[in-house]
Amino acid sequence: MTFQPTTADEASAPRRTVLPILEARSLTKQYRMPGEIVEAVRGVSLSVMPGEFVALMGPSGSGKSTLLQLLGGLDQPSSGEVLLEGEPIGRLSDSDATRLRRERTGFVFQSFNLVPLMNVVENVALPFTIAGQDPRSHELAGRVREAIALVDLTGKERHRPDQLSAGEQQRVAVARAIVTRPALLFADEPTGNLDFRTGLDILDALWRTCMERGQTIVLVTHDAKAAAYADRVFVVGDGQIQDEIVLGRRTDHAAAPLIARLALLGL
Amino acid sequence: MRGLVRYAWRALAARRARTLLTVIGISLGVGVLVAALGVDAGLDASIDRTVASMVGRADLRVTAFEETGLSAGTLEQLAAVPGVALTAPAIERKTFLASQAGRPVETAPVTVLGIDPSAEPRVRDLSLARGVALAPADGASALVTETLAATDGLELGDNLQILGMGAPLTVKITGVLRGDGPELGSGGRTVVLPIRTAQLLSVADGDTAPAQVGGVTRVDVVLAAGAPVDQVAASIGQALTLQPYVLSRPQDIASSLRASTLDIRSTMALLAAITLFAAAILILNTMAMTVVERIRELGLLRAAGAQRSQIVRVVVTQALVLGVAGSGVGIVVGTLLAYLAAAWLRASGQLAIEGPVIGPFAVLAGIGSGVGITLVAAVEPARRAAAVSPVAVLRVRSDTARLVRAHTGWLVVVVAVIGTAAVLLLPGGATDLAIPVRAVGVYVLLLVAVLLTPVLLAPLARLAGLPFAALLRLEERLARAAIRRDPGRTTLTVGALVIGLAMVVALASVAGSARVSATAWLADVVPGDEVLTAIAPAPVGPGGIDTQLSSIDGVALATPIASFDLAYAGTRLEAVAIRGADFLADGRLNFTAGDRTAALNALDGTGAIVLPAPRAARLGVGVGDTMAVATSQGLVNLKVVGLVARSFPGRTGDAVLVGWGDATSKFGVLGADAFAVRYAPGRQADAQPQVDALARQMALTASPVSAVAGAVGDALDRLFGLLDLLALAAVVIAALGIVNTLSMDTLERVREIGMLRAAGMSRIQVWRSVLVEAGILGAIGGLVGSVTGVLVGVLLSGGGGAAGPMSVVPWPTVALAIVLGVALAMLAAAQPARMAGRVPIPMAVRGE
Repeated sequence: MTFQPTTADEASAPRRTVLPILEARSLTKQYRMPGEIVEAVRGVSLSVMPGEFVALMGPSGSGKSTLLQLLGGLDQPSSGEVLLEGEPIGRLSDSDATRLRRERTGFVFQSFNLVPLMNVVENVALPFTIAGQDPRSHELAGRVREAIALVDLTGKERHRPDQLSAGEQQRVAVARAIVTRPALLFADEPTGNLDFRTGLDILDALWRTCMERGQTIVLVTHDAKAAAYADRVFVVGDGQIQDEIVLGRRTDHAAAPLIARLALLGL
Repeated sequence: MRGLVRYAWRALAARRARTLLTVIGISLGVGVLVAALGVDAGLDASIDRTVASMVGRADLRVTAFEETGLSAGTLEQLAAVPGVALTAPAIERKTFLASQAGRPVETAPVTVLGIDPSAEPRVRDLSLARGVALAPADGASALVTETLAATDGLELGDNLQILGMGAPLTVKITGVLRGDGPELGSGGRTVVLPIRTAQLLSVADGDTAPAQVGGVTRVDVVLAAGAPVDQVAASIGQALTLQPYVLSRPQDIASSLRASTLDIRSTMALLAAITLFAAAILILNTMAMTVVERIRELGLLRAAGAQRSQIVRVVVTQALVLGVAGSGVGIVVGTLLAYLAAAWLRASGQLAIEGPVIGPFAVLAGIGSGVGITLVAAVEPARRAAAVSPVAVLRVRSDTARLVRAHTGWLVVVVAVIGTAAVLLLPGGATDLAIPVRAVGVYVLLLVAVLLTPVLLAPLARLAGLPFAALLRLEERLARAAIRRDPGRTTLTVGALVIGLAMVVALASVAGSARVSATAWLADVVPGDEVLTAIAPAPVGPGGIDTQLSSIDGVALATPIASFDLAYAGTRLEAVAIRGADFLADGRLNFTAGDRTAALNALDGTGAIVLPAPRAARLGVGVGDTMAVATSQGLVNLKVVGLVARSFPGRTGDAVLVGWGDATSKFGVLGADAFAVRYAPGRQADAQPQVDALARQMALTASPVSAVAGAVGDALDRLFGLLDLLALAAVVIAALGIVNTLSMDTLERVREIGMLRAAGMSRIQVWRSVLVEAGILGAIGGLVGSVTGVLVGVLLSGGGGAAGPMSVVPWPTVALAIVLGVALAMLAAAQPARMAGRVPIPMAVRGE
């Protein structure tokens, strides 16, 4: 059973009758620095339901990106546990973690990091190529086309990165992240390098994957306008979840309700 | 200012590995230069010592032109020349010591040197280890060298039996000379006798010993105090009318010896300059990388008020530190390399060198070139650093096409500086214009190859990537993308490899040409399967060795060969005496002009000569022309009856061919130096043991033609092995450049690698992609280097070197160069690849 989107008027949380797709239990992350131990994440527990769009929001240095890396299996926690579809991923070997990233998660970062020599199709199909699959096969080629269409880049399949605008490059990065139909899509400040208008295009693209394909998304941002696309917002500060704001699924993505809640919290 | 200098230090310290690799690269370049200069100075010193040992205090030397030596009459004429204070005649010949009871039989020949015991001490000092000097001019006493005494177990007071034309000559050892003694080229096996005693070795049984000293090989002349050398030399020219001779001064002998080492010295110097070229590319690349890497910091410094000149000083300070450190280490490396090279040359028997001389010039040239080239190479990066705009700090990647132009444009300047310095330092450049012209040609070829690399980068990368793509498609694509990320850097990285591998291929090409030139004549010219060589003229004709050899069942042909010199138009012309009928029967000699049969028959008559075509072209003579040749009997006219493509090799080119009759009757040839033996088909196995037995009996050395070719090839291999070693220094520098470049690539691509890892790429895939990148770089270097190397080889071979104009494409070395390029590049990439594979994803994907 997957998460059923609510209407814009329903400001309630998604139904929790199903198991969470992602769960963090008492997660901590410490870094040893000369003369001190820095605790970037301190005892975070949260859960994300299938099909949900969740945002981790906080100021710079709050630990939100570190938290995303722990949730996505890019880094290992100092203590606590991360469960993806009920399976612990916090202590995976490098090869198992690699397989997890290849098959079950997708990432979009602030930097687009496209391969310059590859065109749009090839960049989007990169996860298949990495996995040793032939992206020209009928099924995979269809999935590549579908991902490109979803980010509204149809017609630019043969363009190389240097022939695309920054927003288009980031949309290629989004398509690359969703082409494998991952269980979870992690986006770390995906609009950080973009202007306001282009940033909205990216957020719209992420939103469409969520709406049309039921893609579960965890977005890290410091921007309330970006976080307003989410169903739920975890406010991160000082390595902890300071608050959870449930916005519900809405189509207007107005930031006002979120900003109002944040104001109430003194943020 | 002090703060900026400290910043420069920190910048170097922050990239310790790159700094270290660059210092090693500079030190290798400087090391090869210092080694080349050290060996060059060592050869000069050895030549000077040799000449001093040869001529002592003599001002002039008169050398016999004919085998019969200088006659008593000529000696009298010489002594009577005004201004001549002293003449010291000497007889030199090779022979064997007779075996004696109680001593092992030593089969190596000895050189007998007959001297005038009263005149000789006034010309040169014979340094005695023990015993006493020779006394009377006709005494039965002898001096032997320490080397001969040690190898043959000789002691003071022992009797020596020396083989001559008559009964063995018995002399008593009265003294032992230090070391190898005075004779160069004897291998230390020298016996010094009074001249009249030495003369007895040429007297056959039944003949009476001549009353006066004659048959003299050479006379050293000491002039009266204040007598002008030129004037006395002119007087000698007028006075000596009886025989042809060669008059030389000590500096002529030194020049001649220096000329014989010119090829190896100029090649070593050229390799040194090319290694510096590779080092300069490494430095330019390193400095450029440093600027690119720190462009934001430099922009911030500019924004904080740093002047352009201050930024330049930062970069130049870095270059200075690298240059000084690299040059310092390079002096040490070069000294070690020079001793290795000198030992190699000595062991190979190619050149007489006692050891390298690392003098102030070599040290200053090493430091000057190391620091100078580093600073010159740093100028463009420094200028670019100074041009960084304070507002452009966020623009990490500039216009790559402009960067390529800047890199390659400056490379031309750097190469021009090194090239000019190299041409000025090149040994022999002042006397032989062909040497600097060749060097400049090689430089231009290498430069063109490097400059063409960015133009051809995309298709070459695609071509070189094909084998990798077949196995690792993704890695190959990523590697090609990385290679094309910064064509300027790739050009410099591949450029050093191109230069190193080009020189390896070029040397193989030259070695191949040299081998062909040195051995092709054996099949084309020698009318035999085996050659028997004599240490003294061997008798020919009825009862002679050729007759005895021909009488052996299974021997189809035994023909005598003798080498001698002709005096033609004031120059020495190397000649070989042959029997035309024997060459006609055996089908040797390829005639390019004149009728073969008629020409060879004419040689067996009188007054005919056959010339190698290249020499005929140099002399400006052709078939039908007459050459007037000087002999002791006056001028002899020889008619050119034919031209051959190739003849017996001489010191300065192929020898001219003269009939045996003319050689013995007119040119003083006393006997054969060698006999070529042709076996009847299928009879070699039966006949060869008898031929070899006769050779042993007659003190001849038997060598199958194939063994001669093999020995020539081995000698060339040893010589070129040393040059290959020096060329490999450039390849090692290129490998250091690859490490630097791939490390920088990894640092620059850290986000991309992080993204790929986040997208499911494994460590091993990342590792492989960097290795494939290196492999493609290596393959491009190998491909371009091979093509360039073949062209350089053609230029070096055809430029008048020892190899001659013919060049061959060394396919095995071409294949080896490509494999070496790929393997070395991938080996160099091991650490950067490991580094790339270990890129922590969280760090890599961290936002700005």
